[in-house]
Amino acid sequence: MNWNAIAFYVATIIVYGAVDSMACLGLNVQFGFAGLSNFGFIIFQAGGAYVAAVLSMGAWQKSNGGFQQYALGWHLAWPLPWIGAAIFGGLLALPFVFLVGKRLRGDFAAVGLLVSAVLLNQLVNNFVPLFNGAAGISIVPAPFQKYFNPQGLGYQFAYGGVAVVLCVFVYFLVRRVTESPYGRSLRAMRDNDIVADSLGKNVRVQRTSVLVLGGMIAGLSGAVLVGFINLWAPGAWGYAETIVLFAAIIVGGAGNHKGAILGALLVPLGFEEVTRFIPPLSNPALVPALEWVAIGLLIIGFLWFRPDGILPERRRILSGSTPHVTAVPTSDDPDALISLGNLEQLDFRQLLRLEGNADDHGIILATEGLNRAFHGVTVVSDVSIQIQRARLTGLIGPNGAGKSTTLAMLAGTLAPTSGKVLYEGRDITSMPSNERARIGMVRTFQLASEFKKLTVLENLVSAIPRQSGDSFSGALRGRRYWGREDTENIERAKEMLEGFGLTQYGDNYAGGLSGGQRRLVEIMRALLAQPTVLLLDEPMAGVHPNLAHKIGDQLTRLVASGMTIVMVEHELAIMDAFCDPVIVLAEGQVLAQGTMSELRAKKEVVEAYLVG
Amino acid sequence: MSVFLSSLGFGLISAAVLAIATVGFTMQFAVTNVLNLAYGSVMINSAFVTYYLNIHAHLNAWVAMVGGVITGAVASYLLNRFVFTPFQRRNLPPITIVIVALGVDLCGTFGLQAIVGGSYFSYRQSFGSEFHFWGMYLSSLQLTIIGICIVVMGVIHWLLRYTRLGKAMRATSANASLARNSGVRTQWIISTTWLISGALCGLAGTVFAMNTGVFEATSAQLYIVLMLAAMFLGGPGSPYGAMLGALTIGVATEVSAGYFNPEYKEVIAFVVLLGMLTFRPYGLFGSEKTI
Repeated sequence: MNWNAIAFYVATIIVYGAVDSMACLGLNVQFGFAGLSNFGFIIFQAGGAYVAAVLSMGAWQKSNGGFQQYALGWHLAWPLPWIGAAIFGGLLALPFVFLVGKRLRGDFAAVGLLVSAVLLNQLVNNFVPLFNGAAGISIVPAPFQKYFNPQGLGYQFAYGGVAVVLCVFVYFLVRRVTESPYGRSLRAMRDNDIVADSLGKNVRVQRTSVLVLGGMIAGLSGAVLVGFINLWAPGAWGYAETIVLFAAIIVGGAGNHKGAILGALLVPLGFEEVTRFIPPLSNPALVPALEWVAIGLLIIGFLWFRPDGILPERRRILSGSTPHVTAVPTSDDPDALISLGNLEQLDFRQLLRLEGNADDHGIILATEGLNRAFHGVTVVSDVSIQIQRARLTGLIGPNGAGKSTTLAMLAGTLAPTSGKVLYEGRDITSMPSNERARIGMVRTFQLASEFKKLTVLENLVSAIPRQSGDSFSGALRGRRYWGREDTENIERAKEMLEGFGLTQYGDNYAGGLSGGQRRLVEIMRALLAQPTVLLLDEPMAGVHPNLAHKIGDQLTRLVASGMTIVMVEHELAIMDAFCDPVIVLAEGQVLAQGTMSELRAKKEVVEAYLVG
Repeated sequence: MSVFLSSLGFGLISAAVLAIATVGFTMQFAVTNVLNLAYGSVMINSAFVTYYLNIHAHLNAWVAMVGGVITGAVASYLLNRFVFTPFQRRNLPPITIVIVALGVDLCGTFGLQAIVGGSYFSYRQSFGSEFHFWGMYLSSLQLTIIGICIVVMGVIHWLLRYTRLGKAMRATSANASLARNSGVRTQWIISTTWLISGALCGLAGTVFAMNTGVFEATSAQLYIVLMLAAMFLGGPGSPYGAMLGALTIGVATEVSAGYFNPEYKEVIAFVVLLGMLTFRPYGLFGSEKTI
């Protein structure tokens, strides 16, 4: 046996393993945590590799007789080329920000990124002056090659050591981000971006930050790779290389950093190394072709048989006690739900930091001539309403009256075709919903909208506004910066949970709860967002009548504590019991408003219901 | 002017191939909401079945094409029935299905390459005599492909507008659960759509291979980009949009190749696609998917 050759081989494996692990950690933050399917991930690694190469090389005319052409050629000393590569990887993310805004479907954005990867590869391949075209850049200097022999065993192991240290650094960096309140917001966005947006999370900023973070990590990994193999060409970064990294994360476990590393070691590294020992066959294309087939089968097989990967995402236990997950009753037992709570003991003013004056009934929210059409069909026409402070206003009307559409326009989840929305006298028509949430307007949804793979407690805590750890920079400052505040927030969420009698479900994934329990989670979550105006879209739908009344009583208490509530409902009995005043919509227009007893006397209201 | 006209000729033939491919692709998206990125691999596998019948079974290429069409139809049907539908039943987000489709594409393309090897192939077929009119040069092979495209588009138009099946397809595309509640057998409609669109896919694969002359297992791998560009230009899920998009992209790529560096001819398709995704993801005319 040639021990020397084996030693070199081991050093190479270490470097490749570290590079692949870094790339997978970066992609996993985007895909596994933020739900952003970056099918163009490889261009960030490629960009980093090119930039590190041309920053470390001398000007092309001088250095190697001009046999290869490239831009820059600044001849910088290590580590500047690597830093430059990381920065470039981050900057490269910025043009893609427009693709990942909240308007575009996730799979469409993914296709856009995939196509960008193909396009950039073709451009670099054909445009020689940038990075020497299809031939690629070669004889990239290894760091410190003036002082050490890059072919020496000691150098190679030292290089591997540096790569591993960087990989460990990246691991702690991404963990710091994902295991913070900001990471919780990222996962909330992954589970349901529209709801996260309605709770005040700026989805575009969050996606931008993970694109930049992942881009920097990818750029750095490219720099480490090119410093070791000393060449880089378009053939090395076809769009399909991204699919290999996706396969790695799916196999290892999306949303789990250790899973990403495991996947990197199993898939890209494993495949490259195992196939190296297969003797050459008569058909030289056979082995690489079968490698790709195997990658395809791995993706399909894992997504079907083990969609969470070998190391599934870890459940975050916030309750503090030993992790316990309570079995969820198969059908809602309304009595159990009701009797468990001690809602009357919740002090909403203190818990929700309510500051409103319960006796001030001035106008807080108003619309002027609000219109909305879908495909030319008018759904809401000329709706002008005024919402009084510290009252529970009901929006009622038959199916298709435009209630939910009106509520969505109030909350900003839907833009009006024309008309205005005024909040405390200020025109907020063009204000995005996440900003509206931050100034105090929070909505709930008619359809189930819990963050499925967040625990119940995480669902609640994620909604609390103004968390110091809920920003990229806050997350980077670490637990020492936000930890104490987060503990207080968790305590508040627990108090709320206890009031609603769901304490034992705190560590359950919200997606596994029963329908009635999920409703309660949504209501608790909306309350913890500390709204000034709470917009509820049929909160009692599908809830047992007894429980509905229990919820209604609490809404009345909230209003008495100074909160303003607007509630869409079509159950007259509920309106009767809790809402004052009531606005009646029919066929997209305001039909009448007043107290329920006033409305009952009006013929047109009764008719609207009979006709509707 | 002569550059324009001769490249317009190339553009029309590119557009014809692209239209057949994109209409099938967009119909699959319309009824199942799946961006089937494995489409290119089904195309090239169909083209190779035609090749086998043409070379080894000694059939005329046009007759052998029927085998390619059947392959495309059956493979697409099976793909939907045994891969996409089971995954969709699990209520996974669309992106997961797209990742699955990419996995299928790798298996299809490189599985084929493992069998046929990395070399180039061509049909035993003559390009026929060349016709020269209005400054365009087109072979009889190319004129036949354009003719096939026109006939196929006519049939699709008739199918969608004047048959019960077409009406049911449009209903399923617009709102599957509403269609089901109105008595449309949506499962059957979806299967039929995958058979028809798969036939288009097989046809597209064969005429694509005929038109390029020489082809190999990975030849269609990037064709999906042109199809995506054509589809998003006309609005995803709209067959008529796909026809118009294919005409625009086909002509635009070839005309730009006539005037600029042909190495960059596909750049225009990329730019169109990225622009559409950014500014009008539901097409120039549509606001959401419509068939």
